[in-house]
Amino acid sequence: MRIKRNTNVSREGKIRGALAGKILRIDLSTGKIWTEASEPYAARTLGGRGTNSLILMNEIAIGTKWSDAENLLCFGVGSLVGTAVPGACRTDISTINVFSGGKGSANVGGSWGAELKYAGFDHIVIRGKADRPIYLYITDGRAEIRDAAWLWGKTTYETENLLRRELGDERIEIAAIGPAGENRVRGSAILIDTAKAAGGSGVGCVMGDKELKAIVVRGHGKIDVFDPRGFMEAVAKTYRQCEANRVKVQSMRQSGAARFENLDFEGWETCMVIRNGQDDYWDREKRAQLMNPEAGVPSMRRKVRACFSCPTGCMPFMEKAQGKYREMKGEGFWINALWSVARFDISDPETAVAFWLLANELGLDTDYVAAGLAWVFECYEKGLINQKDTDGLELTWGNGEALIQLMRKLAHREGIGNLLADGMVEAAKKIGQGSGYYLIHLKGQPSIEPFRIPKGWGLGVSTSPVAGRHLRGAIRGPVHSGPGGTDYDITHYSNQAKAVVWQAKTKELEDNLGICNYVGTWSGAHFLTPGNYAELVRTAMGLPVTEEDLMDHYAVIGRNLEKAFNTLHTNLAREDDLPPQRFRREEIKTGSYKGFKANEDQYNAMLDEFYELWGWDKKSGMQTRESLEKVGLKDVADKLAGKGLIEKCDKR
Amino acid sequence: MGHIARNAALCYGCKTCQLVCSFHQTGSFWPERSSIQVSRNPQTGVIRWSIDKTCDQCGREEQPLCVRYCSYNALMNVTDENQEEHERE
Repeated sequence: MRIKRNTNVSREGKIRGALAGKILRIDLSTGKIWTEASEPYAARTLGGRGTNSLILMNEIAIGTKWSDAENLLCFGVGSLVGTAVPGACRTDISTINVFSGGKGSANVGGSWGAELKYAGFDHIVIRGKADRPIYLYITDGRAEIRDAAWLWGKTTYETENLLRRELGDERIEIAAIGPAGENRVRGSAILIDTAKAAGGSGVGCVMGDKELKAIVVRGHGKIDVFDPRGFMEAVAKTYRQCEANRVKVQSMRQSGAARFENLDFEGWETCMVIRNGQDDYWDREKRAQLMNPEAGVPSMRRKVRACFSCPTGCMPFMEKAQGKYREMKGEGFWINALWSVARFDISDPETAVAFWLLANELGLDTDYVAAGLAWVFECYEKGLINQKDTDGLELTWGNGEALIQLMRKLAHREGIGNLLADGMVEAAKKIGQGSGYYLIHLKGQPSIEPFRIPKGWGLGVSTSPVAGRHLRGAIRGPVHSGPGGTDYDITHYSNQAKAVVWQAKTKELEDNLGICNYVGTWSGAHFLTPGNYAELVRTAMGLPVTEEDLMDHYAVIGRNLEKAFNTLHTNLAREDDLPPQRFRREEIKTGSYKGFKANEDQYNAMLDEFYELWGWDKKSGMQTRESLEKVGLKDVADKLAGKGLIEKCDKR
Repeated sequence: MGHIARNAALCYGCKTCQLVCSFHQTGSFWPERSSIQVSRNPQTGVIRWSIDKTCDQCGREEQPLCVRYCSYNALMNVTDENQEEHERE
């Protein structure tokens, strides 16, 4: 494939299928609504997140803050969503990251994205701010800005119920924020169907800042593919691959967290972070209480549900008839939930499920809540704050009720919640007394991830361009996630960088095409491979690509656009691609990995290799003109050069 | 001539049946023009599924596309031959 692209968008390599065709543009300050073609952007980026990143790169002026009216909130549905590709349901939401000031992005499944494409749009790009609470109603090529005063203050559950009653169409799909987003709590999520959260980067906070409560979509249209017969053959092949992995499918269908019912599951040993990082080992009795099949979390799993066009099906539906928080029910309980409560040393299963469902109702990102509030618990333990500061809450490890109450305070900015709502880095400045050292964050965003044992995981999280999170290259060995081949010890530093880059690249493709990585290349699924992606892109979109084109061109474009956005808009540097300080200084205290820490020299060696593999400057981690021009990003290289942020990068 | 039956207990609500049915009917991915309609309430987990008279069990296909692509084995093409098996389920 010959690729020569130097303009902001491209007319070359024309896409001839799978797209809805339009970008919906809305300026909430003026009420103006217009559209433009999505194809020229997708021809350059492959669509989805890639197009969102390109739009932000082209249109956000340097110096723009997340809370400025000029900030854009971009919804980008993957290019293959709406077709029969297994797992093609995902939507990327990109904006300025409220934590880092750089690129923000969160990714979410459900049926909302497909419905938007049937309504005629691949993207929605929102700028400006409304002067009153509003929601958007989008259907069949048109959009309306509607009053949402009657929805303001409502939880995501209430919002969904009220909108369904008002609109009287059970097939509408809803993306909404809860009270947390309305109150500009930094770690706010956008919820699809009340349960699937676009959690990271504070995307819900930006939506609330624009006074946008919800986006309702309903589409009656269609998506055509370039070569229907060839496409269905490619789809049939992917289904055969899924069916060949029946054992793995069955395991994932109980949700990833179900593996932790086995108290000897290696994830218990290698991936836990306890009491805000004081240790990485959790007692067996606590594991047993949390995940007991008869009385623990699994006993509340009533059924499992799947996202649109998904053959995996990983969303447990949680419900219970008695006990604490019995009014709560709904989809969700992922590994993140298990990790989250362990961070507070909470092993009460009722609290664990309530934690997750309450976050969904309030529109909070669970990682932000877990990592941020566990830090607050530690501040309390160390006497840096006391009961006067916490409005009487006793924030002792294991106190689940205190966590639940603190979450409500956070979402509504009540008492100490107001201090924490502006971000934990800001809160640490106010609390002072060295409290910042105990705050576990990456590029400003609180993080729940393990760094001291699984090194490829740690590298993937640390280098994520959207401020931490484990979906941008984090691996637990090359077989579980990664390119396959000969497995090696996840606790070693060698060999990790190459597999991390491979995983980061496949995720770029998955987020551009909208394929869930629980069907794709991550978490041990491996039902689909980059080879499948090439076949699907050829037959659905009519782009004559090979697997190499995807991995060495499109995936590289996506990552570089985000990296360049960070370079232009922040002061993030090599230090910010290393694990949080605490894990570099403090060793694990108990368990079979006692004595382990994130060795700074070894992490730096991984980072050298990681930068080199991307073609970036090994010393500074900055992009080079050569690597950018190789994938047609001359305009981006020029932009960086104009600010002295390329070639001379190590003299910043 | 048979009919498509769904085992609600096995259904995950992924809507793939609706999607591939629309492809059979129209050559496009067009859920609105499908013989099968699916909707879901995320707060109760309840799935509503229905099939209308436009279903032709996919004519000359080896098996109906909805059955072929249901990863959860929730759909069955009920014919004279497998009527008993269906009733047992």
